[in-house]
Amino acid sequence: MAKTDDIILRVENLQKSYNGQKAVDGISFEVKRGEIFGILGPNGAGKTTTLEMIETLREIDGGSASIDGVDVATNPYKIRGMIGVQPQTPGFQDKTKLTELIEMFAAAYGEKVDPKKFLDEVNLSEKANSYVEQLSGGQKQRFSIVTALVHNPKVFFLDEPTTGLDPQARRNLWELIEEVRDRGISVILTTHYMDEAEVLCDRIAIMDRGKIIKLDTPKNLIKGLLAQGFKKEQRVEQANLEDVFIDLTGKALRS
Amino acid sequence: MTTKQKLFTVWTFFRINLRRVFRDRLALFFTFLFPLIFLFVFGSLSHNNSVSLNVAVINESQTAFAKQFATQLNKSKVIKVNKQVATFSDANQRMSRGEVDATIELPAGFGSLQSGVPTGKAVVHYTQNNEQAAQTLVSVLQAQFQGINAGLVANKTPFTVTSQQNNEHSLSAFDYTFTGLLGFSILGAGIFGPMNVFPELKKMGILRRLHTTPLRVWQYFLSTMMGQAVTGLLSIGVMFVVAHAVFNLDPVGSVLQFGIFVGLGIILVLGIGLALGGWAKNERQAAPLGNIIVFPMMFLTGVFFPRFLMPQWLQSITTYMPLTPVIDGARMILTEGKTLLDLGPQLAVMAVWFVIIYAIAFRVFRWE
Repeated sequence: MAKTDDIILRVENLQKSYNGQKAVDGISFEVKRGEIFGILGPNGAGKTTTLEMIETLREIDGGSASIDGVDVATNPYKIRGMIGVQPQTPGFQDKTKLTELIEMFAAAYGEKVDPKKFLDEVNLSEKANSYVEQLSGGQKQRFSIVTALVHNPKVFFLDEPTTGLDPQARRNLWELIEEVRDRGISVILTTHYMDEAEVLCDRIAIMDRGKIIKLDTPKNLIKGLLAQGFKKEQRVEQANLEDVFIDLTGKALRS
Repeated sequence: MTTKQKLFTVWTFFRINLRRVFRDRLALFFTFLFPLIFLFVFGSLSHNNSVSLNVAVINESQTAFAKQFATQLNKSKVIKVNKQVATFSDANQRMSRGEVDATIELPAGFGSLQSGVPTGKAVVHYTQNNEQAAQTLVSVLQAQFQGINAGLVANKTPFTVTSQQNNEHSLSAFDYTFTGLLGFSILGAGIFGPMNVFPELKKMGILRRLHTTPLRVWQYFLSTMMGQAVTGLLSIGVMFVVAHAVFNLDPVGSVLQFGIFVGLGIILVLGIGLALGGWAKNERQAAPLGNIIVFPMMFLTGVFFPRFLMPQWLQSITTYMPLTPVIDGARMILTEGKTLLDLGPQLAVMAVWFVIIYAIAFRVFRWE
């Protein structure tokens, strides 16, 4: 595969079964360099299993996945060095300073870094000597993201990153994810929030029962639905309740 | 990654996690204070080496001799007079409770003059279970009377016996207590530590997060082993210093070799904890298996009872338990002045267990 290829992740006929049940049923897709790719779907659709197989956390039953031409199944340690993973609920050991945790994660990739620089990136420099248990939910998410990027990965996976965050923290996180993409890192995320997918994702795969049932840009997906003659009750207002909330409480991030 | 990078990973994890231990008050308590509490409790129980009998004295005689004799009894090394007892019924009650071993009765007229010399017959009362104590007490009293008699009546004693202490070092009860406590503290930190911590790390997804990095299990284990060896040796060092200062523990062998040997023991036992904690998905899964492994080791390897008290067949089985060579070896260096070179058999048993335990630990480890 040529290095100039603008496809960073290639998934072909990927399969996973649990007790004879097909959790992931032969899906194929490609993710381009520097795009934000969303995987949507109801609970149990197979989103998390798909991500976990690509992240080397689960064995691949059938088909293949490769990142930048490296096969996932045969080179798990090499792949782990090329990806960053943000779990659904980030957990960190207690009584450990943020700077120390960054040092540890960098060390896990065999690298020595300046932790302050990374904390600066996500506005957490003043918390450098705090422990994670002293951070708010939004701060913890931002910190978790920075620990997943210490080794400058090629692909960044996020599993439902904004669940449980307040609107300010959500918007802040979106900006952060876009910044990551602008650095040239491909982002793959799952979410249950359609507004999030619409604002953030360059392309979306919709999964159900282990299969990808649609894959396109958000705009094209909506256009396609409208072309089928879909009509929604016409809204007169040019704003919604969230706009009101943000107008009243401001965009500034709360601690 | 180069080998140097991989070891840098181990070093960083070790360094930061060690710092973390010293911020954790609960961990500090269990690492340093808890073993010391045990040391003080068991140490003061076993420190008093001389046999002593708890005795009640009922003096019904008014003579000056009887009074003097009663106060002198108190000065004896072997006899401890319970001064609270004044009546026979009280003495009987206390004897049946085991609080008093025997009662000495000085009957009325004890010590009154007969043909110019004080005479009398003391009576030792005892209960069914205290026959041995009573026998001992009778011999003690007989010896005392002999001394007194010799002063009163000129007498020739063709045969005598005296005792003399040899300078050769022998094991005191405290030596056994100390190495037992050492084993207890190694067991506690090495097994219960990871058994509680690992399932917690899994529950919080901390290990799962590490699993997404190129970190290898051996790197994680090695950093944990280094940390455990350092905290364990520090904790035992504190015990050692306190035992030396308070309980006169006087090591015969090299302290450095003792440290190296105990360090190996700590790492060996930690393997059991790593296997249990690494395997268990949650605390509830780990606890029963942990107890099944820990309790036999506490009672059979010399932690609480010296193994020489066991029947021969049990001794030959328990020789091969993983903790036995650790406790035996530590005692041999400490009290017999043996060196690591003398401990070949112990080190061999430990090496075999090391391979078995860590092979299992690596095999059953789960990140989540």
